[in-house]
Formats: sequence, C-alpha cells, structure tokens
Amino acid sequence: MEAYLAAIGIIAAVYVLLTLGLTLQYGLTGLVNFGHVGFFALGAYASALLAMQGVPLPVSFAAAAAVAAIAAWPLGLVALRLREDYFAVVTLGFGETVRLAITSERWLTNGVQGIPGIPRLFGGVGIEAALATLAAIALACAVAALMLRRIARSPFGRVIEAIRDNEEALKALGKDPARFKLQVMMLGSALAGLAGAFYAHYIAYLSPDQFVPLVTFYAWMAMIMGGVGRVSGAVVGAALLMLFLEGTRFLRDLLPGLVSEVEMASLRLGAVGLALVLFTLFRPQGLMGDYTRR
Amino acid sequence: MLGQLFVAGVVHGLVIGLAALAVTLVFGIARFPNAAAGDTMTLGAYAGFAAHGATGSLAVAGGASVLAAAAASLAGYLLVFRPLARRPVAALLVAAIGVAFLIRAGLGLAFGHQQRVYQVPLAWPIEVMGLRISPMDLTLAGVALAALAVAFLVLYATPIGRQMRAVADDPDLARVSGIRPFRVMVALWLLAGAAAGIAGMMLGIKTVVSPEMGWESLLPAFAAAILGGIGSPVGAVAAGLVLGIAQEVSTPVVGFTYKIALAFAVLLAVLLVRPRGLFGRVEAVR
Repeated sequence: MEAYLAAIGIIAAVYVLLTLGLTLQYGLTGLVNFGHVGFFALGAYASALLAMQGVPLPVSFAAAAAVAAIAAWPLGLVALRLREDYFAVVTLGFGETVRLAITSERWLTNGVQGIPGIPRLFGGVGIEAALATLAAIALACAVAALMLRRIARSPFGRVIEAIRDNEEALKALGKDPARFKLQVMMLGSALAGLAGAFYAHYIAYLSPDQFVPLVTFYAWMAMIMGGVGRVSGAVVGAALLMLFLEGTRFLRDLLPGLVSEVEMASLRLGAVGLALVLFTLFRPQGLMGDYTRR
Repeated sequence: MLGQLFVAGVVHGLVIGLAALAVTLVFGIARFPNAAAGDTMTLGAYAGFAAHGATGSLAVAGGASVLAAAAASLAGYLLVFRPLARRPVAALLVAAIGVAFLIRAGLGLAFGHQQRVYQVPLAWPIEVMGLRISPMDLTLAGVALAALAVAFLVLYATPIGRQMRAVADDPDLARVSGIRPFRVMVALWLLAGAAAGIAGMMLGIKTVVSPEMGWESLLPAFAAAILGGIGSPVGAVAAGLVLGIAQEVSTPVVGFTYKIALAFAVLLAVLLVRPRGLFGRVEAVR
C-alpha cells in the first residue's frame, strides 16, 4: 500500500512540475504552449542517456533542465514574436517533431523499442528508495512553487502579467515583451525538463509513446482545474488529475469485463476533452481561480 | 522513381490541400487555428469506411464522410466555438483541442483502435508517359478536384460565399454592410467540415484508417494553410500540393518519419521569412 501511494505521489509530483511550468508560461504570461511534452521528453531522454553513460544523477538532472531550456531558446526566438495563435501552432508542431526525432534517431534513443534499465534514484526499487524519491521530487516541487510565487510578486512578475493582460500597453511603456517571454519560455521548459528527469529515473524505461500530445493536455487540464495563474492551483490541479487517472483505472478494476483497456483509454481521452471544453466554456478561471482578475 | 513519388505527392498534396482549405477558412473567418480539423478528417474517414463497407460504393462513402464531418463541424461551432466567440483566442485554442479529443474518443469507442482498410478493388496501373498511375489515384484525384470545384463555386459564385469572403476581409465592415454573421458562420463550418471529411476519406483509402490518422495530418494542414496565406483558399490548395509533393519526393532522403517534420520546418521557415504566406493579405501575425 505504501509503495502504491508513493508511486502515485511521485507521478503526481511529476505533473505538479509540468503544471508549474505551464502556470508560469500561460497562467502568468499568457503564452499558449501546446508543446510542453516536447521539453518533458527532451529532459527525460537527456538525463537517462547521460546517466547510462555513467554521469552522476545530480549532474544529469541539471543537464535535463538545461537541455530543455536551451531547446526553448531558438524556438522562442522564432515564435515569440508571433501572435499567440501562431505560437500555439508552432509549439504543437515542436512537440510532435521531438517525438518524431526520438522515434527516428535509433542510434541515440533506440527508437520505438525504447531505453530500458535507466538507473533509478537512490539506487533501488524498494520502499525506502521510493519514499526517498518522493521526498526529493516533493522538495523540487516546493522549491519550484516558492520560486514561482516569488517571481509572481517581483517586478519581473508584474511585467509578465502585464504581457498577458495588455501587451500593447507594455510596449508603450518601453518594455520589450519578447525578451521577457523568452526568459519565461526557457524557465518553464526547464521545469518540464526536470519533470522529465524525475520521470525517466523513476519509471526506468523510456519510449516515444510516453510522450504523446495528451501529456501536454493533462498538464493543461491540471492547470485549468486548479485555477489558471495560481501557483497553489498547479498543485491542486495535478492532485485532481492524478485522482482522475487513477480513479479511472480503479473503475475498470471494479467492473471487470465491462470495458477493455483500449476502451478505457478512449473514455479517458474523451473525459479530458470534455473537461477542457466545459472548463473553458463555464469556468475559465478554474475551480479555485483568481476572480479578481481576468 | 522521382516521377513516381511525384504522382504519389500530387494525390497526398490534394488531401493536404483540402484539409488546409478547412483550416484556412476557419482561421480566416472565425479567426483561430482549429486543432479539431484533423479529427474531423478522421471522422470523415470512418464514416466513409462504414458506408463503403455497407454498400461498396465510393460515391456513397464520399457522401457519408461529407455529411458526418460537416454535421460534427457544425455541432462544434454551435455548442462550443459560438459561445466562446467573444473570449480570448486562447480559450478557443484549448476548446478546439477538447473537441478534437472528444471526436477521437468517440471514434475509438465506436470502431476500436485497430487499423481499418477500405476494401477497394486492386487494378493494374495505367502507364502514362513512363509513369505507372493506379486507377484509384486517378479516381481520388478526380474526387478531390470535384470537391475543390464545389468549394470554390460556393466561395466565389454564391452570395453566401461572397459574404464569407467579406467577413474574412473585414468582419466589422461586413457587419455594417448588413451581412448576418450567424448565417455566414454556419455556412463556413459546414463547408470546412465537408472539406475535412472528404480529405479524411481520401487519406483513409490511400493509407489506413485509424483514430490517430487525422491528428497526424494536422501539422501538414496547418503548415499548408500558413504557407498559402491564412484566409486564402487558393493558397491553401496550392501550398497543400507543394507540401504533399515535397513530402513524398523527400522521403528517400529524410526517411518515412521525418516527412511529417518537414511540415514543421516549412511552417517555421514561412513564419520566419514571410509570415503572410504566399497568397496572404498583409496582416499582423507578429
């Protein structure tokens, strides 16, 4: 039982990190990043491949965040000068392209066969190692959340919220939105990369089909459910997401033979779609969003 | 070899062109990139597949795919996109993803996840100037050209088409000129859905039918719509052809998987160099 709870906690924390990245990018700055999973994948593969070469895990984790942030840089340079709808299309394309590259570059990533036997954190599969992993990722989440909260209240935070609310006015004040957007993009992607590293070294196996666009929209769903633009909302939203993902699995176990695994996958996809539609229609600020602002 | 790939590219390009037509109409008039266009294609492919399995007639399959996809497209507008019309574009983007997932989930439940194949009769290819062209490719090209002809007739030779283009040019001017936006929007979503449906059926016949097929065509469709210039139907079809041919001809060089990534490269290049595309009007995209 503890092992199961620890496993859920670790995956939930991975989604907290992903959602915090989105909260910074969309919630605070208004960047519609539909390619979050691409940065998650880059971080996961970067850390896994480095660790398999014998690089110490702390270094590979740092590298994961760095690789994701560096990947965000050229993309940001190109895309951040574009209108937000074009930006969404470009990031969506980026996420898909990363997955295609992972599938194709067999010499590096072993293609669709995937990479097995990735070193685990705290060297093991026992309950102690799982709890230690949970503690480590919870600490990472806490640090990231506090950092985001500090950013939101800093002058930098006021500028990025102004980008979200009225970019033209900000330009008129002589600020360059593109520079701020680039920094936000890189920082949010670094969080996604870090989430990828934790994921890779916990699951210990990577393949391209773990990095489908659905992962991006799980994070979107978590962010929207928790409340757009709120740091605490990312945590609540990821917890709700986990409840949903695990709940649907329990539901299937409770009703054996009623729905097959593929049908459940479709039902889950449909539920995510319905949630995205209903939340944007009726409750755009999320369950506990900020009502004082737009 | 190159000529053979060129022929394959033309057929594939017509598919992308039709999908891009659906994307560019919605992008130009409803003013957001509709990520549900890909899954509308998938719906068309499955509807055509079911009709084809029941009757064996390609004409019936085409009718079914057009009807199903146009109906779903209109339902998406009435239930989701219309209520969101006055909201920030991000809301429309997220809602479109939701609609896409809903369609794909419904198809996955109804038809399962295994790949389906249209049972079309095999025929000997026809030899034209040293190129072997299968009769099915000719039929598909004919279907696509007919669909495009109808779409362009609607756009350029009917009052509703003229109104649509007027709204695309300047929504406020169209409104004060007495054009009723609701009627235009209904026509727009029906037309876009029908184009996506036919594109889906063609893709299904050409390759295989699976729940992911439309989503995988979304990126080429977006790339072609932007390359052609948002809001330009001619541009979308022309760019679709260019992209389809480029994808097929480049396959021996870049491999099977990367031909989709080619669409991404084109997308980035266009946005970097000429954001208004080949045929687009001058509009701020930056």
